[in-house]
Amino acid sequence: MPPSTDLLQGTLDLLILRTLALGPMHGWGVAQRIQQVSKNALQIGQGSLYPALYRLEYKGWIRSDWGISENNRRAKFYSLTATGRRRLETELESWDRLSAAIGLVLGRIPEAAS
Amino acid sequence: MMRELLSRLRFFVRHALWPRQPRAELDEELRFHLERATKEKIAGGMAADEARRQALIEFGGIERTREQCHEQRPGWWLGTVMQDVRYAVRGFRRNPVFTVTAIATLALGIGATSTIFSAVNSLLLRPLPYSDANTLVWVSNNWPKIHMDRVMSPNFVAARAESKSFAQLAAFTYLDGNLTGAGEPARIIRANVTANFLPMLGAAAHIGRTFSDGEDKAGGSNVVVLSDRLWRGQFHADPRIAGRAIVLDGVEETVIGVLPPRFRFPDVQLEPDVYTSLGLESTASVTDRRVFLLSVIGQLQPGVSAQQAQAEMLTFFLARTQNYPAGFAHMAQGQEAAVEPLQRHIVGDNRKPLFILLASVGLVLLIACANVANLQLARAAQRQHETAVRGALGASHMRLVRQFLIESLILSLFSAALGLLIACVLTSLIRRLQIPETPQAALYSEVAQMLRLPFGKLTSAIEVDGWVLAFTAGVAFLTTVLSGLVLALGGTRTDLRSTLQSAALRVTSGREQRFLRHSLLLAEVALAVVLLASAGLLVRSFVNVLHYDSGFDPHNTLTAVTLLNSSRYSTAERREAFVDRLLPRLSALPGVTVVAAASALPIQPYDLGSAITFEGVPAPPVGMRPVVSVVSVTTDYFRAVGTPIFQGRPFNLSDTTQSAPVAVVNRAFANRFFAGDAIGKRFHSMARGSEQPAITIVGVAEDVRHGGLEQDVQPEMIVPMAQVPQPSVSIAVRTAGTPAALANALREAVTAVDPEQPVFDIETMDQRVSEAVAQRRMTMLLITCFAMLAAILCAVGVYGVFSYSVAQRMQEMGIRLALGASRRGLLRLVVTEAARLIAIGGILGVGAALALSRLLSSLLVGVTPHDPLSFSLAWALMTAVALIACTIPAVNAARTDLVSVLRSE
Repeated sequence: MPPSTDLLQGTLDLLILRTLALGPMHGWGVAQRIQQVSKNALQIGQGSLYPALYRLEYKGWIRSDWGISENNRRAKFYSLTATGRRRLETELESWDRLSAAIGLVLGRIPEAAS
Repeated sequence: MMRELLSRLRFFVRHALWPRQPRAELDEELRFHLERATKEKIAGGMAADEARRQALIEFGGIERTREQCHEQRPGWWLGTVMQDVRYAVRGFRRNPVFTVTAIATLALGIGATSTIFSAVNSLLLRPLPYSDANTLVWVSNNWPKIHMDRVMSPNFVAARAESKSFAQLAAFTYLDGNLTGAGEPARIIRANVTANFLPMLGAAAHIGRTFSDGEDKAGGSNVVVLSDRLWRGQFHADPRIAGRAIVLDGVEETVIGVLPPRFRFPDVQLEPDVYTSLGLESTASVTDRRVFLLSVIGQLQPGVSAQQAQAEMLTFFLARTQNYPAGFAHMAQGQEAAVEPLQRHIVGDNRKPLFILLASVGLVLLIACANVANLQLARAAQRQHETAVRGALGASHMRLVRQFLIESLILSLFSAALGLLIACVLTSLIRRLQIPETPQAALYSEVAQMLRLPFGKLTSAIEVDGWVLAFTAGVAFLTTVLSGLVLALGGTRTDLRSTLQSAALRVTSGREQRFLRHSLLLAEVALAVVLLASAGLLVRSFVNVLHYDSGFDPHNTLTAVTLLNSSRYSTAERREAFVDRLLPRLSALPGVTVVAAASALPIQPYDLGSAITFEGVPAPPVGMRPVVSVVSVTTDYFRAVGTPIFQGRPFNLSDTTQSAPVAVVNRAFANRFFAGDAIGKRFHSMARGSEQPAITIVGVAEDVRHGGLEQDVQPEMIVPMAQVPQPSVSIAVRTAGTPAALANALREAVTAVDPEQPVFDIETMDQRVSEAVAQRRMTMLLITCFAMLAAILCAVGVYGVFSYSVAQRMQEMGIRLALGASRRGLLRLVVTEAARLIAIGGILGVGAALALSRLLSSLLVGVTPHDPLSFSLAWALMTAVALIACTIPAVNAARTDLVSVLRSE
C-alpha cells in the first residue's frame, strides 16, 4: 500500500473536481497532478482514485471519453460536466467556510486576518 | 438532486443492457495506469523488471479496486439483494420440510388474523355507508323501571321543535306485516319512517322517489317505498313499479319508489321490506292515548358533540316529565337520556366478542411467529459453519444479518399471500349467505351460515378492502421483524474462529442461542395456556346456557308463525275461527300427536305485557303496578311444547270465552307474588280490562325463557287463547316422526284454511334452540379452534426445539453412554429439561390467563373468570401435549448409537 495522508471524507471528490477543472485528464494524470501540486504531500492510490472517479461519473458530475494519450495510447479521459462545474463552485465555498471555521477553532488564523 | 438521480438511472439502464462493457473498460484503464507508473520508474533509472515489480507493489490489490469500482455502480445494492434472494430461495428449495412448515404455520396465523380483522374493520372501524355518518347519533330516553329505551312520539315532536343540538331528527317504528295482491301472500317487515328519515341517511330512490314533506303526518297519503330485495323477489324487478297498488295488512297502498340495493337500514335487527310513512300526530303533549314509542336517529349540528347533545336531551326529558300524567311520571323515575354514535349503537353487542376473537387470533399469530423464529434459529444453527465461511470470505456482519432478514421476509411474503387468499375465501363465504334452492348449494350455504353467525346482520358488509390488505402487509412485516431479528441476533455471531472450530467439532450450541430458543418456547406455552383457559371458560359457559332450555322439550316439534293482523282478522272471533279450523287439520296429519297454538312459543319474544292487580290488596297507582308477560295458548299447549305443570291443572276444553277466566302462571310469577303458593289466587289483568272479572290461577308451570336463551325468566301469565286473543299466532306440532318432514303439509294446511294468509319461520323447535345459541356457539367454537391450533403449534415448537438440541448433542449423548449412563437416564435428561421449560411456561400462562380472563367476563355465564376447573384443565392439557411432543426427541436421544457417534469423530 502506498503511503498516503488520510483524506477527509468527500475531500477526494473535491480534489478530483478541482483538478479536472483545468481540462480533460486521464486517471493517472489526475493522481500525478494532485501529487505534484501538493508537493508530494497527497498521494492518491488507485485503490481510492478509481472508485471515486466512477462514483462521480455515475452522479453525472464528470464524464469520460476514450481518447489518445500523450504517448499515443488509448486512454480514458475524464472531464467536468456543467453540473460538475456548478458543484465544484458550491463545494469550494463550503470548503472555505469549513476550513476558516476550523482554523478559528484551532487558533491558527489571527482574528484580524479573517 | 433530480439530475443526479437521472444520471444514475441512465447508467443503471446502460449496465443492465451491456453488463460486460464496464468491466473491460475498467481493466484497460487500470492497465494504462500501471504502464504509466512503470514507465515513470524506468525514466527514474530503474531496471524494467524491477520497475514493473515496484509499480505493482505500489498499485496494491487490483481485484479489490475492481470490486470497489463495481460497488459504486448504481443498482449494485439491488443486485446484492437479488443475490441474497436467489440464495435464500435455493436454501428453501433444499429444505422443503422446513419451508412448508414455516409457510403453512404463518399462513394459517395470518389468514385467520386477517379474516377476523376484516370483520372488525367492516363492523367497527369503517364508517357507516351513510352520508355524514360521523354526525349521526342514536337518541333514546331510557326508563329503567319499565325497560323502555325509546322516545315517546309527543316528545319526539317537541324535541324536533325545541332541541338545539340536532340539525334534524328522524324516527321510525317497525312491525310485521302481511303483503297480499302480489303473488304468494308474504310476511314482510314494514318500517314506518318520518319523511326526512331516508334523505338524512343519504338514501335516494333507485326508481321513483322517497317520501316528501307532509306525507308523514297522521292521515297522510297511503304511499310506500319498497326495498330492493322485495322489489326483485316479489315484483320481479318490474321497472314500472312506481304507481302500482299493493295491499299491506289489508290496506291498499301506492308504490312510489324503490331503494337502491346497497342501502342498509340503521338497525342491526332489521332489514325492512317496505317503508311506509309514520302517521305522526302533531300534538306535543303526552296523554294516556295516542302515545307510541319511536326509535330516533339524529344528525348533530356541526361542532356539537354527542355528550353535549346528551346533556341537552336529559334536561329536555326531565323538563317534559313535569307535564306527564301521574302514571307516566312515576314510570319515568330514574330516566336517562342517551345520545350515542350510530355506529356504536348498531354494532352494539357484537363489539366484545369480535375484539376477543381478534385478540385470541392475534395470540395464535404470535405463537406461529415464535414457532417460525425457532425453526429458523435451528436452521441457522445448522448453517453456522456456512455463515462463518461467508464471514471469512469477506461478507460483512450487516450483509449476513440482511441475508437472514431477507429469508424471513420471503417466508412472510409467501405466507401473507397465502393468508390473504385464505381470508378472501373465508370472507366471501361469510358474506354470501343465500338460502339455497338446489341441494348442491346446501353444504356451501351451511358453511356460510355458520361463519356468518358471530357477526350478526351486518355480515354483508364484511369484505377484504384496502385496510385489510394494509393490515396483512403490516402483519407480514411484523412477523419478518419478529422472527428475523431473533435470528439476526442469534444466528450471525461472527466470532469466526470459534464458530469455524466449534462447527467443525459439532459441540453443543451456544448458551445465548439456547436461551433465545427456550424463551420463545416458554412464551409459546404460556400463550397457548391463555387461549386454552379462555376456551375452557367459554365452553363451560356454553354448556351452562344450554341448560337454560329446560322447561320445555324441543325434540320432535315443528313450529311456525303466522300473523293475524290484516283487516280480515280485525275481530277476536275471526282469529279464533282461523285457529279452530287450522288445528284439526294439523292433528289429522300422519304421525302428529299434539297440536297447539300460542302467542309466543318458548324462546320467542313476548308480544304482550300487562299490569296486574291482586284481589284483596288495594291497587297501587297506575304506574306502580307490577307488569307481567302474557302468553295466550290453546288447550293442548303444555303437552305440545312439553312444559310440565307441577301444581294444579293445565287448560281444558271447558275454559272458553263464556267460562270464568283462568290462568296458569309460571314458577317465577308464583314465587314473586305468592311465595310459591299461587293455586286458587285471583288477580286482575289490564289485558282483559279492569272491568272484567278477576282471573283465577289454576296451575303453576315450569319456567321457560323467552326472547332468547340468555334472557332472565320473567313472571308470566298463561291464559286460554279463547279468553285473551292475540294477533300473532305460533303453531307447535308434536309428532312421533321426523318433524321437518311435516313442513309442507303444515303450509298446505294453512293455505287450505286461508289462501291469503302467509305462514313463515317453519322450523323445528330444535332449530330454534340451536339458533338461539348460534352466536355464542360460534364464538366458543372459533376460540376453541384457535386454542387447539395454538396447542398444536406449540407441540410442533417443543418437538422442533428438542429434536434440534438432541441432534446437536449427539456427541454428548455418546460420551455419556460411553461413561456408563443408562439409556433411560438419557431419556430422563431430555424430558427433565423439557418438563422444566413446560412447567415454567405453564405457570406463566396460568398467571397471564388469571390476569386477562376478566376481559371475557361479559361472555361468561355461570362461571367466574377464575374458574379453577378451566384453568387446571388448560394447564394439564398443554403440559400433556408438550410432554408427548418432547418424548419423540427424547426417545431418539436414548437410542443414540454409541458406535456410529464415536466413529464419526
